[in-house]
Amino acid sequence: MLEIRDLTKAYGDHRVLLGVDLDVGAGEIVGLLGPNGAGKTTLISIAAGLRRPDRGSVRIAGRDAMRHRPLTARLIGLAPQDLGIYPTLTVRQNLMFFARLAGLGPSVARRQVDSTAEAFDLADRLNHRAETLSGGQKRRLHTAMAVIHRPKLVFLDEPTVGADVASRAGILDVVRQLAAEGAAVVYTTHYLTELEQLGAAIAVLHAGRIAVRAPLPEVIARFGAAGVALRFAGEVPHLPGWRVDGARLVPEETVADPVAAAAQALAALGARAGGLAGVEIVRPSLESAYLAITGQPGVAQTEEVVDALAA
Amino acid sequence: MLSRRSLVVAGTGARLLLADPAPIIVTIVLPVLFGAFLLPSSRAQLRQSGIANATGAEHLVPGLAVLFAFLGVSLVGTLFFREHAWGTWDRLRASSASTADIFVGKLLPLYACLLAQLAVVFTAGAVMFGYRVTGSLLALAVVLALFVAVLVAFGAMLAAVFRTMDQAIVIGNVGGMAMAGLGGALAPASTLPAWAQAAAHASPAYWTLDAIEDITLHRAGLADVTTPLAVLAGFLVLFSAVAVARFRAEDTKVGTT
Repeated sequence: MLEIRDLTKAYGDHRVLLGVDLDVGAGEIVGLLGPNGAGKTTLISIAAGLRRPDRGSVRIAGRDAMRHRPLTARLIGLAPQDLGIYPTLTVRQNLMFFARLAGLGPSVARRQVDSTAEAFDLADRLNHRAETLSGGQKRRLHTAMAVIHRPKLVFLDEPTVGADVASRAGILDVVRQLAAEGAAVVYTTHYLTELEQLGAAIAVLHAGRIAVRAPLPEVIARFGAAGVALRFAGEVPHLPGWRVDGARLVPEETVADPVAAAAQALAALGARAGGLAGVEIVRPSLESAYLAITGQPGVAQTEEVVDALAA
Repeated sequence: MLSRRSLVVAGTGARLLLADPAPIIVTIVLPVLFGAFLLPSSRAQLRQSGIANATGAEHLVPGLAVLFAFLGVSLVGTLFFREHAWGTWDRLRASSASTADIFVGKLLPLYACLLAQLAVVFTAGAVMFGYRVTGSLLALAVVLALFVAVLVAFGAMLAAVFRTMDQAIVIGNVGGMAMAGLGGALAPASTLPAWAQAAAHASPAYWTLDAIEDITLHRAGLADVTTPLAVLAGFLVLFSAVAVARFRAEDTKVGTT
């Protein structure tokens, strides 16, 4: 559905995209990740036709998106990063406007407004001005306006920012539904667990290029580092293959199975493990994989402290 | 020119104007209010300038209508800048509406509102102050329709040229008032100093009021006001050309004050 080739974009001397290639198929959700300023929003803006690239091409449903703009625009739904709603119009008027703008006839548009409002839990707010909605409701309306016409290609740029837990769950449900109906979804977020919940494929934009593009399990398997540390209350014992890191004993090399490595180390330490205060296990995750791909050292990873082992 | 999508944009534009109608109401109420206490001085001015039976409404009504119509210039800028402030501009651009659809759709409701504003002020002038037209009503309608088109194009030009709403509003209001005053909206151009009379030719208000004066007092028809109409058309082309040349849909505008 979306084919991006060799996309290059610079703002003055600041080169943001250095030849991005990215494919997103029908029915696929791709989580587009990258540090702040990596160019995710620029990439989406170009793919959605809002900006022109310096070089490269964007094809949507097989058509050149720049040459066949009106045709390809009909296939797109965009929820930009910043909230974009008409505050003085009602929820119904906001939704109706974008449904009609997408080319839906009045009766179809009305039906779509009702079903979309239902899906986004906005049905009871349809006749209220958008400015009277809560933050989460505004965010849901913002996203609903992007998908009111059931687009074939959806760009959701951080759609859950500022949304409460219920709103976030609702938005994720709709994204899953869109993909199930065959839409290609490009989804950017800093909440990595959302991508795990969506079962999204992962594309990491780093240093101006797509550094990794693979299914989620593969990304975690290839880059998600596991870790283990034995924490001591008193003197930290020495063990071959492990090094002392403050009050902790950590493996000198990456371990594939941190629980097994901890058990083996404790067995090898025997009585010398008497001062053990805790065992820290870091399981492979999208977060650890993402940090490894983007080379961000020293960032705290998810830790699971298994005090039971120490006991 | 009027595509289905531009009409959809226009429909929503009209709803946005109606959702916050205060600026339009002001441009209708103020001229009527001002007319109530400025009529005697207008009468005196006209009689001094040789129109013996003048009621004052002959100049007062068109003058105030033109003066306050210039407030519409900043409303045009507001239309575009608010889209940026609301974050809806990129959504519009990402839709299948073309830039021309959006432009026409945004301007159409305001054009209709400003035209309606002039119609209400002229009608109120006739009912309350005895304003009468001796010439062709069709000619008057054509002059007003073209004048409003010039105002809208001027506002679109400011929206295209300036980056912030404040800049566009200030220049729109100051420039608009200057053009209206210089063009004879406050006092007949013939009573202005010589240098101002010369400069007045650079104002669309002058040509509009010149045509309306002929239609109001001298039984003029459409054929008699071709020169002012041609000059107004020139302003329309000039402002539109600058707006189109300078307008960049991808430009970042600051839409908050």
